[in-house]
Amino acid sequence: MATERTLIVPGRFESLAAISDFITQAARDAGFGDDDVFHIQMAVDEACSNVVEHAYGSDRRGDINLRCRIDNGGDLQVEIRDRGRPFDPDQVPLPLIEPDSADLDAMRVGGLGLFFMRKLMDEVTFEFDAESGNCLIMVKRRPK
Amino acid sequence: MNDRIAQAQVEGDATRIAPAGRLDTFSVPAFEAALNENLDAGRSRLIVDLADVTYVSSSGLRALLSARRRARAAGGDVVLCGMAPRVREIFEMVGFVSLFSIVPSVQDGVNLLRADAPTRT
Repeated sequence: MATERTLIVPGRFESLAAISDFITQAARDAGFGDDDVFHIQMAVDEACSNVVEHAYGSDRRGDINLRCRIDNGGDLQVEIRDRGRPFDPDQVPLPLIEPDSADLDAMRVGGLGLFFMRKLMDEVTFEFDAESGNCLIMVKRRPK
Repeated sequence: MNDRIAQAQVEGDATRIAPAGRLDTFSVPAFEAALNENLDAGRSRLIVDLADVTYVSSSGLRALLSARRRARAAGGDVVLCGMAPRVREIFEMVGFVSLFSIVPSVQDGVNLLRADAPTRT
């Protein structure tokens, strides 16, 4: 049977530690190994940091709604909702990362948060609806 | 949560900065302030001891990159030490391991900075 749990916290950086505890516990309870748990935690931390920084920014207030769902196959779906300004991932520059480069000036690190989310999760989908706001869904599949 | 950031002059003109806990977007501003405080005061040989750090977010990586740029421009450097495997993995994912000097201990950092220091007469 699918299980679900939710967390609602103020959309502020102070909430990140509680979000991390929540998602770590949910992923652990779902049976993911330490590496996956850490990766899921990191992707969610980056996502929620983006919500606070960009969706709400300095002039808006609102909550972050997290919903974790484990489906029957053991995959973990994390849904993150906010009521901030619309987020368009296409407007985020890609970071310029050259793994073997020692050239400090060549690195451009804008968009690193989104880079981590896409690298660490199997699916990352953004939606915006004027009624319900931003909805980000990330999926981590259970290793077969 | 970044409970504290220990700072101390170690040897010569090297300074050890040791944050603790999670370097997430909430705790990074204090860490960044510690880095900038030293750089503003002309202390550009910095050893960031990550032994007590359990997590570094992209905002932490950006703070380190920008501190290193400033340090290098001032003739110094930012050397990282004490990195746990979990933290190292984050640096590896974005290629920061080839960008930063990463050494096991604070003493290794001191030695490295000393070796890089211009000869004084």
